[in-house]
Amino acid sequence: MATNRLVQQGVKQVKPLLSLDRTEARRRVLNLYKAWYRQIPYTVNAFYIPVTVKQGREKLRELFMKNKHVTDIRAIDMLVIKGQMDLVETANIWKQRNHVMMFFKDTVNPKPTDFLSKFYEGND
Amino acid sequence: MLRLWPLRQVAKVQNVLGGLTQIATKSTQPAPAPELVEVFIDDKQVFVEPGTTVLQACAVAGVEIPRFCYHDRLSIAGNCRMCLVEVERSPKPVASCAMPVMKGMKVKTDSPMTRKAREGVMEFLLMNHPLDCPICDQGGECDLQDQSMAFGSDRSRFTDNAFTGKRAVEDKNIGPLIKTIMTRCIQCTRCIRFASEIAGVDDLGTSGRGTDMQVGTYVEKMFKSELSGNVIDLCPVGALTSKPYAFTARPWEIRKVESIDVMDAVGSNIVVGMRTNEVMRVLPRVNEDINEEWISDKTRFAYDGLKRQRLTTPFINVDGQLVPTDWETAFVKVAEKVKKVDPKLIAGVAGSTADAEAMVCLKDMINRLGGELLCTEDSFPLNRSGIDFRSNYIFNTTIGGIEQADVVLLIGTNPRLEAPLINARIRKTWIHSEVCVGVLGAPVDLSYEYQYLGDSFIVLKDLAAGTHPMCKALASANKPMIILGTDCLQGTENGVIYNAVKDIAERLRKNLKHKDWKIFNLLQKNASQVGALDLGYQPGVSGLKALQAELIFLLGADAGTVSKDKINPSSSVIYIGHHGDYGAQIADVVLPAAAYTEKDAIYVNTEGRVQLARQAVNPPGMARHDWKIIRALSEILGVALPYDKLADVRARLGEISPTFDQPGQVNESGFEAQAYQLQTEIKDPIVNVNTAISPTMLKLKDFYMTDPISRASLTMAKCIQACKESEKNPYSKQEAKA
Repeated sequence: MATNRLVQQGVKQVKPLLSLDRTEARRRVLNLYKAWYRQIPYTVNAFYIPVTVKQGREKLRELFMKNKHVTDIRAIDMLVIKGQMDLVETANIWKQRNHVMMFFKDTVNPKPTDFLSKFYEGND
Repeated sequence: MLRLWPLRQVAKVQNVLGGLTQIATKSTQPAPAPELVEVFIDDKQVFVEPGTTVLQACAVAGVEIPRFCYHDRLSIAGNCRMCLVEVERSPKPVASCAMPVMKGMKVKTDSPMTRKAREGVMEFLLMNHPLDCPICDQGGECDLQDQSMAFGSDRSRFTDNAFTGKRAVEDKNIGPLIKTIMTRCIQCTRCIRFASEIAGVDDLGTSGRGTDMQVGTYVEKMFKSELSGNVIDLCPVGALTSKPYAFTARPWEIRKVESIDVMDAVGSNIVVGMRTNEVMRVLPRVNEDINEEWISDKTRFAYDGLKRQRLTTPFINVDGQLVPTDWETAFVKVAEKVKKVDPKLIAGVAGSTADAEAMVCLKDMINRLGGELLCTEDSFPLNRSGIDFRSNYIFNTTIGGIEQADVVLLIGTNPRLEAPLINARIRKTWIHSEVCVGVLGAPVDLSYEYQYLGDSFIVLKDLAAGTHPMCKALASANKPMIILGTDCLQGTENGVIYNAVKDIAERLRKNLKHKDWKIFNLLQKNASQVGALDLGYQPGVSGLKALQAELIFLLGADAGTVSKDKINPSSSVIYIGHHGDYGAQIADVVLPAAAYTEKDAIYVNTEGRVQLARQAVNPPGMARHDWKIIRALSEILGVALPYDKLADVRARLGEISPTFDQPGQVNESGFEAQAYQLQTEIKDPIVNVNTAISPTMLKLKDFYMTDPISRASLTMAKCIQACKESEKNPYSKQEAKA
């Protein structure tokens, strides 16, 4: 009985989030990318951030390429949904400057982990 | 005031040596337990011992009676009348603090009569009490404020029809520590009773009657006591407040951190008041085994030294100048010096306020580098089993145990200034029992009467040989105590002195009636000493010279015992500590560390009691915790210690001695007989038999500055100045007997 159920669970078809196959998922990703790509000049302007349009687009590409290893369609869809939400928040200026700048985390130093660096840092 | 004890003492003093023999004849059997008395507190039945007061019986029943003049540790005055309660079949309300219970007594603590009596007392008190709570330092922790809210009436019938104003009293100047606003005084006389009973300084008293009654010193003089600050805590109103703390903080803004004091080896329990990362004040914390509820003035007022003369950044010595630098550079500099020297010639010295964690880290690091010599600043003879047995170097009787002693022999110590709370305990014993005190040392004012035996070594020899008259008293005592100070053990003759004292103790121990009673006590002066010896440090810096140490690590060693010229002119000194004091001056590299209020640390007091100090504020600037500095340095030097967390260091402490795992406890020491048997003959016996066995601290002005923190304190400097001025005051008591 129990093994039966396990097998059933194993073969059960998962419910798709949005896309039914990889082609559809890919299309959604590209659409999101394009939408962001077109939005970036307005974002740079509206938030008055110290970033050029080119730098913004490079960061966009970097962030998308960060997830290139994801193959699960549902995971891809979820990332697209999140990206879309982020885009809406940015476009509607629900975000503030620092939220946008959080895409560029260059100034944040990683927290020290070993004893000596913690000692030099002084916060332990 | 009920003060019967001085009369008894007068009689005792007259026949000190003659009376000693009486002790043995006294019955050792305790009186049979008396029958308990049944009393009813608000119809609740309680059984108390006969002789307890109504107020104490109420406390047993869980009813707190309001009071101003009554205090547990002081004699009963019964003059504030706030503790009035109704007793059935008594026409008037009775003062519960002074009334002993009687069989079947029915006390009503919340009847209309009681409440009316309290309201009346409150109304009278407030009639002449200024309404300056907003500018009063006691505001927020004032008994009068609290009790007028709880028990007072909501209005007063007092109207100043003639506009004569409230009673006003001139403020007194009683020294740099206590601020007096005598208009606020409600004449509870707690301060007077404290001064005469606990502190033993009959300086305070009352003059005048009724409305004209005033508390003061009669003629203007300093309240000259090492325990004077305690009257601030005792004062139920804002008449006596702290001068250094005046107008700095309010009690509700202060965060209270329970900690341990390191100004002497007593390890008084304290509460550090912290606000905005600053120590605002230090108050006592009740610990019946150590300090009861008192602390010394150095403990209470030296905290301003924590903000001055601090090392806030590492320094390196460049051409004789200490130049501020960063941690990396300082560490590299230390590493260079360590590379250059033979590891066997590396040594460490722990100072008076070093904590156990830092000391164990320093010892482990130097041992890993290859050095063997680690020592403390205070010397101690290593003959006669030396520090191999704990009973040789701790206060075996324990501080609480003093109260059972019947003969106390003080040798080469001035406990009043070296350990004020231990002296207060001896005084308490002297007041409440027939204890006889003998002093071999300087004829200082100990606040109680004693038999002065002189200060020469010959007297000690006589005592050891059993030919001195005092020996008879010691031998006939049930529970004799010998307290040996460390001041007389600093010279080259220390072995001979120590041997003689051990001889006395051993002879007494053999004939002791109470086999588990400990006779021999060593009164340490440094808070770090017992911990250091427990961890295997060598006492005294004489080993440094013998070794010709090339590289010396000083862990807060500021007593001036280490100097390059004396040891090895080519040696380098690394100083790890918190104050720019003696140690930092001679250092090649200075690493800033934390003071006792800035770290979680373990200290072992003179009884061998392990206690935890808690961090109240952060170390200033770039200063770090001591053990972390050593841990980080060990990594740079390539001998990384395996401790990353405080818990790891504490586990290591527990490996060395299990006592470190039992904070707050005293482990009874043993093996006195074995410790004595391992005697070694002194090869070079004392040449000069006239050597004086005397402590270094003789007068109150010597008391205030003894360690880097108190030396940096402005308040302590003011105290010394006031002491010197008071010596010129003809009305001031002479401190040392001629």
